[in-house]
Amino acid sequence: MAAWSCRFLFLLRGTRVIPPRATAERPALLVGCIRTAKTTTWFEENLTEDNQEYMRKSMAEEYRRQTAEKLNPLKDEPWPRHEWTEGSRRVGLVAVKLGMVPVWTKTGERHVVTMLQVQDCHIIKCLSKEEYDGHSAALIVGGKNVSPFHRSEKQMEVFRNAGVPPKQKVTAFKVSDSAIIKPGTPLYAAHFRPGQYVDVTGKSIGKGFQGVMKRWGFKGQPATHGQTKTHRRPGASGPGGDPAKVFKGKKMPGQMGNSYITAYGLKIWRVNTKYNVLYVNGSVPGHKNCLLKVRDTVLPSRRSTLLNPPFPTYFTEEDGDLDEDLYDEDLFVHTEPSLTLT
Amino acid sequence: MAACTKRLDRFIISLRLLRNLQLQNERFLSTSPCLRVAGNDSESPKFVPPSKPVIVDKTQTVASLRKFLSPEFIPPRQRTDPLKFSIERKDMIRRRKVLNIPEFYVGSILAVIMADPNASGKSNRFVGICIQRGGKGLGATFVLRNIINNQGVEICYELYNPRIQKIEVLKLEKRLDDNLMYLRDALPEYSTVDPEMKPVPFSPTGEVPVNKIKVRMRPKPWSKRWERPKFNLQGIRFDLSLTPEQMEHAQKWAQPWLEYDMLKEYDTSKLEEQIIKEVQQEMSK
Repeated sequence: MAAWSCRFLFLLRGTRVIPPRATAERPALLVGCIRTAKTTTWFEENLTEDNQEYMRKSMAEEYRRQTAEKLNPLKDEPWPRHEWTEGSRRVGLVAVKLGMVPVWTKTGERHVVTMLQVQDCHIIKCLSKEEYDGHSAALIVGGKNVSPFHRSEKQMEVFRNAGVPPKQKVTAFKVSDSAIIKPGTPLYAAHFRPGQYVDVTGKSIGKGFQGVMKRWGFKGQPATHGQTKTHRRPGASGPGGDPAKVFKGKKMPGQMGNSYITAYGLKIWRVNTKYNVLYVNGSVPGHKNCLLKVRDTVLPSRRSTLLNPPFPTYFTEEDGDLDEDLYDEDLFVHTEPSLTLT
Repeated sequence: MAACTKRLDRFIISLRLLRNLQLQNERFLSTSPCLRVAGNDSESPKFVPPSKPVIVDKTQTVASLRKFLSPEFIPPRQRTDPLKFSIERKDMIRRRKVLNIPEFYVGSILAVIMADPNASGKSNRFVGICIQRGGKGLGATFVLRNIINNQGVEICYELYNPRIQKIEVLKLEKRLDDNLMYLRDALPEYSTVDPEMKPVPFSPTGEVPVNKIKVRMRPKPWSKRWERPKFNLQGIRFDLSLTPEQMEHAQKWAQPWLEYDMLKEYDTSKLEEQIIKEVQQEMSK
């Protein structure tokens, strides 16, 4: 307690020492929060209130201008487009997990789907085979827009080269050479069509350091019948005297969650082109409002469902006459009359 | 949508009148001499369907109609994007335009007709008293309970399931509690509903009648300890099954600080108004 109050007092003393230049920022915001990184400044620290407002407005305007410029990628000296072939891989998207809803098929079966919204997805950079890993080209894609004030100069330079506002999640997708797209192109949810299968990668919810029963599903020991202090322990750790060691990869307690997990072979039931929402079967790793990577399946048994996808991606100008909602053929649409199962 | 039933009746009656008039006119024309018929073919007026009668219900003003928002429209207090709820609401409204989901409360008696591939006639009808309404959004459910051949039966229906063909309210009423799960431990007479019951007419204006019945229970043990304050039940006659000492003992589990807990406060009044407006606008389109 003494140490805590010392730090608290130190803060107060520290703020009073700062010259009245920073009158805009009242120390009231600093009271109660312990700032450990004492060297970095945030963008508002040494600005007056008018300047802070101006910075925010100018940032918003610049975003709007940048997105408006990029709305017509095909008119804007696009790179040469190729046809889709059997073995070519196209880009994926970065989406936000909204939540889950039930859907019903035309035969009356109920399935649960996750809604993924594609918010401000842009291509940021293109890396050729040699630059990336020597085997395949890669396209760097960015997700949700965030403020530029908390991004470093190096990161901002990359976004400025693409002419795109800074993004929260920036990932690479391995693509075939015929599927490269010019940086700055926006990507929409109609890139995927209903009936297609996708893989979704995201960071699973972190559970911290967990014991062996929760992490690996061990059965533990009985609660009674003489067990001394042993109810959730792993028990034995290996064969015995012959190997005389514990094998590598032995399931033991440790960090659970907060790691990248991929869910494979998820069917797309519905695509909403107005709000850019994908309805993807089943559950997806991550919490609500987390950012995920969505791409075409690598599963060989589902490759046949991908016939004539929009290649290299969906452009609003040329195939722009899609309905607001695209449904899979088996899905029950709520505007139809009630089912009469025969 | 209780107002709809009355309007529908009048609509049907006026349609019938019009149809009768039309038939009479046709008969009159067909008995006229053939000369007129021959000449009339080219000039016979094209069939113009009668204009739909505009029914203005002058007995009830809009203001006096009971404002009811189904509880599954109110989003729970979560960190989800409101866009998800608005997209879900659009789907719910689309379904409501096809299937009329009437206003009902826990304690009302409903009849549900659902499509069933194994039933004769491909659909089955179940009548019961609604004991619980749960879930939010498209996954909203309600549980109907009835006793059939001395066997208690509870069926949990999803409101937006496409297999449901009709939901009708046979008797609209409220009870003293939100959750009538205690009927499982009550005497069977309180859960029996006649399957051939005739619908009891109710008005779309005014207050919903509250049935202040206090139910008699079977001897203990019950499936849950209904006397405990966390259930907060008003609709049970505890004096017949429990002694005052037992009632006092149950109060040991009381948590009187819960009603003052500010973190659990969730004021939905503004949200409700906004959603009611949105739903009424969309339904009238």
